[in-house]
Parts: sequence; structure tokens; C-alpha cells
Amino acid sequence: MSLELLIDILIATVPLMLIFATLFAFTTWLERKALARIQNRIGPNKVGIPCTRIGLFGLGQPAADGIKMIFKEDIVPRGADRLFHLLAPILALIPAMLVLCFLPLDFPWVNEDSVKAYLLDGAVIFFFAITGLNTLAVFMAGWASRNKYSLLGGMRAVAQMVSYEIPLVLSAVIVVMMVGSLNAAEIAKAQTGWDWFAFSPWGFAAFVIFFIAALAETNRSPFDLPEAESEIIAGYFTEYSGFKFALFFLGEYIAMFAISGLAVTLFLGGGDGPGLAVVPWLSVIWFLAKIFALIAVMIWLRGTLPRLRVDQLMGFAWKFMLPLSILNILVAGFAWHAEQLDNTFITVITWVISLAILYGAASGLNQLNRGKVRPREYKYAE
Amino acid sequence: MNEVIAFWILSAIAVLGALVAVRKRNLIHGVFALLVFFAGLSGLFLLLLAEFIAAVQVLVYIGAVGVLLLFAIMLTERVAGDDGRRMTSRGSFWGLVVAAAVFVVLLLPAAIQQLPPPKAAQEMQVITPSVEELGKKLMDPYVVTLEVLALLLTAALIGAVTAAQGVRMPKEEDSQE
Repeated sequence: MSLELLIDILIATVPLMLIFATLFAFTTWLERKALARIQNRIGPNKVGIPCTRIGLFGLGQPAADGIKMIFKEDIVPRGADRLFHLLAPILALIPAMLVLCFLPLDFPWVNEDSVKAYLLDGAVIFFFAITGLNTLAVFMAGWASRNKYSLLGGMRAVAQMVSYEIPLVLSAVIVVMMVGSLNAAEIAKAQTGWDWFAFSPWGFAAFVIFFIAALAETNRSPFDLPEAESEIIAGYFTEYSGFKFALFFLGEYIAMFAISGLAVTLFLGGGDGPGLAVVPWLSVIWFLAKIFALIAVMIWLRGTLPRLRVDQLMGFAWKFMLPLSILNILVAGFAWHAEQLDNTFITVITWVISLAILYGAASGLNQLNRGKVRPREYKYAE
Repeated sequence: MNEVIAFWILSAIAVLGALVAVRKRNLIHGVFALLVFFAGLSGLFLLLLAEFIAAVQVLVYIGAVGVLLLFAIMLTERVAGDDGRRMTSRGSFWGLVVAAAVFVVLLLPAAIQQLPPPKAAQEMQVITPSVEELGKKLMDPYVVTLEVLALLLTAALIGAVTAAQGVRMPKEEDSQE
């Protein structure tokens, strides 16, 4: 292997890992702070610069957590499968890190002609293929711990991830159809100048479906059944401690960044934003800012929504999201043909009709799935 | 040169994965070894510039088939995996014969077939199999095949749902009242 190629690869990959690992640390702090405010607490506020009393709003908390995690004892249950117990957190982190290279981030220090994975013809397919591996890591952790709560969590995670992957991919199909390419950079380029896909009825519906499915894929609240504390202790990582637990944590957050990054690429215009003509490298800043906007919504949802029940979870995926996303593909197909005509009147009509269809379908499905809820009967209380 | 090294590494991964998958008595370990084999295969496809097939290999075989296998194992009794029973070696001779026969049948045509002349090989390098080309082929000349396949899969899906639902029992509430 030539040295130049090796250096090229390192330049392309090492900053990604460093930037996203740093952002991970910051996000854990942000999440704890935001959740604390939502719950009328203060949150971490003590750890700042060591050996001083400067608090810095608790920004030193992630570093302290990291040091604690590294020095904690690594406990493996006696009956556990030692090899798989070790491999599971690693397998959880690797796919999450790997898919970051499919995000169209134009770093200013990367040359024009160097390695860029997001220029692959099938970048979006690769993204979905590799994020799917996360399921296996979760299952592996649940099985290897030889603990019933771990196994329950692992099974729940597998069922949930398999179910929500379908609406996730189907909603991405719309963008691929509209652009006619699976290349992440092409998709981002097709939305330059505020022509984002989230700004059309079908695109907005797809974006909402994608975001909800992404929440479920990354086991975020309100879809955090695999790690439901009140039911199954901590789910699939009940038996994990120390650095292995930290790896799971890191993998989960990196996966959040990655899937938010894909949502930004597909629906929110990638690195598109004001001021790009003057300073081209602003696109990276815009991209990360949009990712953070989505992460903020995730934190907000975690602070406000209660957890779903298992039957609600499955019903929502198969009876609501799946039919709606299939219908949305149909709508988007007609809309694409209408756009080809390049007539303002027809475009307006298409928008109105597709809005009506999507809204009608969503509320109709909602009505259909509501079921008959009888008034609650109180046996022992009046 | 790089390609040759990558080829040997990936082949070693694939072969080792397949061997472990066959030899492991622990079912879960076997499934994961099979997934390692699929990953190696996907790398080999990538090496042949068939990036779409590589991605689909990961998506379908590792993502879907692997999870399906794990589900199937979890639904059987031997959840623990290692049940301590010895593998029976009965029939291994005939298995070996069949494997050798398949190997010869698959390899012989490839060996007999002449390598393309250098000029043709150079021309072949110009064509890069792209996803776009594949999509156009699927949508234009093979669209009927695609539709028939889609219909078949839909029928299979509906059949699976019907089979899973089973015979509809009379509602409990009705029988109680």
C-alpha cells in the first residue's frame, strides 16, 4: 500500500472519529443539562477545571465520567460467554463509527481527489446495510450475558429494530427517487438553495417517518423498551460495567449522530445554508448545526414523552408507519411526474392534493388503529 | 498488489468463518461465524467492484438472514446454545463426496473456459458496474421480471401472515358471556 493512500485515508477518517467523539462528550453534558431543566433540576454543575472551584456549568462532567468508566472494575458474570461478552460492545461501536464516512461532510483539509466514501454510487444503501449490524451487537450482548433481563432486552431490541428499519428505508426511498441517485453528495447537492426535501408535503411526511423510525432504531425514548429501567433493569447491558458499558454508550450516541446526519443529508439539504458562497467550509458547520438541532429534538422528546408499550410499539410500526410510507412513495411518484411538466399551476395543485391525501391517510390510519377503548372499570375504588 | 493482499485476507476470513460455522457445536456461535463468512464474501464482492452486491450482501444476508436465524434459534428450546451433545459423523463421507462433486462441477467450466485475450481484458476494465446501470436495466428490459418477483414476494408475505395468524378462535369474551 502506498504511503500517500494511507495518509489520505487517515486524513479522511481520523478527524471524523475525533470530532464525533468530542461531540459525544458534549452531547452527554447537554442531554443531562436539558433533561434536568425539563425536570426542574439543575443538572451537573460542579465539575469544571480541576483543582479550582471554577464550575464552567459542569462542562468537565464528561471527562470525569470517562475517567470513572475506565477505572471501574470490569465484571463478567460467571455463566456468561466471555468472548461474546467482550465482542458485543465493540461490534456495537464499529458500525456506528463506520457509517460516519457516508455523510457528505466536506472538510476543508481533505483534497479534491482523495478518498471519499460518500461519493460511492451506493452510499445510502451502504449506510442502511451497516447500521443494521447494530441489531446483532445488541442481540449478542443480551445473549452473552446469560441473564434473563439481558436476553429480554436483546429480544425486544431485535424485534423493534427489524420492524422500524422498514419505514426508515421506505421513507429514504422517496429522496432517492426524486434525485435519481444513491450518492450522498448528489442528494445533498440536489437540495442547494433552500430546495430541501423537507419543504414539500411528501418530503415532510417522509422526514417525520424517518425521524420517528430513527428514534426507534437508536433505542431513544419513547422507544427505549430494550433498556426500560422500570421493567427489565437496564435491558441488554444489564451485565456490563466499566469501559464496556462506556463503549455501548458511545456507540449509541455515535449512531444517533450518524442517523441524524443521514436525515440532514436526505431531507434537510446537507451542508446547505447561508454564507456558503463567501466561506465554503461553512457547509461543515451547517451540517453539524443541523445534526445538533435534530439531537436537541431527541433530547426534548426524551424529557417529555412516556415510554410506549410493546404492543403499541409493534402496532405503530406495522399498522401506521408502514402503510403511510408506502402511500407516500406513491404520492411522491406522481409528484415527480408532475414536477417534470414544469408548470406552476400543476405544481400547486399537486401540492394541495398530496397534502390532502397524506393528511387524510394519516388521520384515517389513526382512526382505524385506535380500536375500541372501553371506559376503565374500577373494581376496588369508586 | 494491494488487491491481491486484500483478496487473500478476505478469503481467509471467509473460509475460516465457514469452517467455524460448520464445526461449532454452539448454535449461536455458529450463526455468528456464518455472518463473518458473509462479511468476508461481501468484501470480496467489493473487491470485484460490485459495490451494490456487496451492500446487499450485508443488508440481506447479515442484516436479515442472520437475525432470522437468531430468532429461529431463540424460539427453539436450546436457547443456551451449547447442549453438549457430540456431533454425529454419520454420513460425513457422502457429504464430502457431494461437496467435492459440487466443487468440480462449479470449477471445471471456469477452468476450461479460456481467459479473455489481453485486449478484451483492457476493454472490460472500462465498464464499471454501477448502481445506476443496474437500476436502468431493472427498470427497462427486466421490469416484468421485477414485477413478477414483487408479486411473488407479496404473496409469500401474505401467506406468512395468514399462516402465523392460524385458525381464528372464537373470542373469549363471547364464550364467557
